[in-house]
Amino acid sequence: MSAVQAALTGALLGGLYAMMAVGLSVSWGMLRVINLAHFGMILLGSYLSFALATSWQVDPLLTLLVTVPLLAALGAALHWVYERTGLVEFTSLLVSFGVMIIMIQLVHNIWSADFRRLAPELNRYGSGSWFVGELAFPLPTLVAFGAGVVLIGGGWLLLRTTFLGRALRAFAEDRDMAAAYGIDHRRLGMLLAGASGATAAVAGTLWALGNTLVPDAPFEWIGIVFAVVILGGIGQVLGTLAAGVLVGALTSVASVLWESTTSLLVVFLVIIIALLLRPAGLFVRGAAR
Amino acid sequence: MLEVRELDAFHGHAQALWGVDLAVGDAEVVSVIGPNGAGKSTLVCAVAGLLRTVRGRILVDGHDLTTVAAHRVCERGVAIVPEGRRVFGHLTVHENLLLGAHRRGARSGHRATLAEVHELFPRLAERATQPARNLSGGEQQMLAIGRALMARPRMLLLDEPSLGLAPVVLDEVFAAVRAIHAGGVSVLLVEQDIERALAVSGRAYLLAEGRVVTAGPVDQLRDDPQVRRSVLGQ
Repeated sequence: MSAVQAALTGALLGGLYAMMAVGLSVSWGMLRVINLAHFGMILLGSYLSFALATSWQVDPLLTLLVTVPLLAALGAALHWVYERTGLVEFTSLLVSFGVMIIMIQLVHNIWSADFRRLAPELNRYGSGSWFVGELAFPLPTLVAFGAGVVLIGGGWLLLRTTFLGRALRAFAEDRDMAAAYGIDHRRLGMLLAGASGATAAVAGTLWALGNTLVPDAPFEWIGIVFAVVILGGIGQVLGTLAAGVLVGALTSVASVLWESTTSLLVVFLVIIIALLLRPAGLFVRGAAR
Repeated sequence: MLEVRELDAFHGHAQALWGVDLAVGDAEVVSVIGPNGAGKSTLVCAVAGLLRTVRGRILVDGHDLTTVAAHRVCERGVAIVPEGRRVFGHLTVHENLLLGAHRRGARSGHRATLAEVHELFPRLAERATQPARNLSGGEQQMLAIGRALMARPRMLLLDEPSLGLAPVVLDEVFAAVRAIHAGGVSVLLVEQDIERALAVSGRAYLLAEGRVVTAGPVDQLRDDPQVRRSVLGQ
């Protein structure tokens, strides 16, 4: 596979990484919670999609009708617990790690450690490619990329143009002042955590379209998704998308040019360099967040 | 409009206010003066709902807001211009102003209010698309006041608006306070620049070490030996 093709495939896959990262980034940046349980929710989303599509014999994308509200509710409920227990950034990391482990174990217990994959006859997006000249656009990652761009772009527009979006950004910057101007931080926090849970559901389904499911998948995601969050700038929605594409392309090119094991090495080297040069994130203008 | 009765306030275990009684009538400008650390900002934060470790009573239009969260205090028409301005630096000037109109009572008429704010501070219209963090101190103060006006307040809390501003800008800020008062808004003004504060106010309270030392019409307070001693160092 040529490096160009690798970059393209990787960049498309990066849309999926961005979809996984955006909820984490937003709840870190705006709610001050580093919610590792987000990975558990993505995992739950992927298995639920698989299970529902399989038992109802429907298009896996239709399962979003169930998984999105379900995981949104779970995200909001978790946030409610985090608020009640008065977590700060560091303690949230520990507690949510525990929650993630519980979720992984739950998936283990329900679906066992066996590999699971959506049956090809249900999954129209599972294989095949579109071609432009010599370049192949693999369908599962293309769907994931498209969904990532649309949803993340939509989220960005929402944050920029609506009363609610402005409220969220103000809330992220100065909670007290936002409250003094009528913004109910409890309600907003729950809403944001719910939206974040919804992105986990979408990311889970998108993952299930193109990948074999294993309960331990979150450990595989954490490194790369954190890289995307940090590079994109914590709480930066569009930055996350750009970073996802960049990280996806980098890992993919590195594994073609050298060995597949070098890809993570390259990613983390890039992160270290990026953090030294632009600590607030690659795509953040100015020094402040 | 605003009535504060026997207010005690705490920062952690440290008590900052002791039994403060204070009232602001409809469309009245009242100053709270006093030296640094007298508890002036604490009083403003308590009224705005940003400090909830308080004892006593805070009434706005007869509604008890002593234990009510800040966002609900805002719904009652209380807006704050905090010490240090605290504009949202990452939002544009325009967005900061729109955010001021977030509360239900202000949202529908926000276009008309925006025009009024722009008339009061033409500079804000010129800099509408700039991120607020790029503004000068004086411009940020105008923005903080403009943001508060966007909430269509009936009670405006101004905390040290003169802090760190050049005299030219100060004139503009205090002219704005007069205009706001003329528009029928009640103002509670906390200020260290006593001459300017008294010049725009009808009554004033002298606060020292968390207690009201003396209070009365400004003409009376100007010559009060306690005021001169406590604040002017004479």
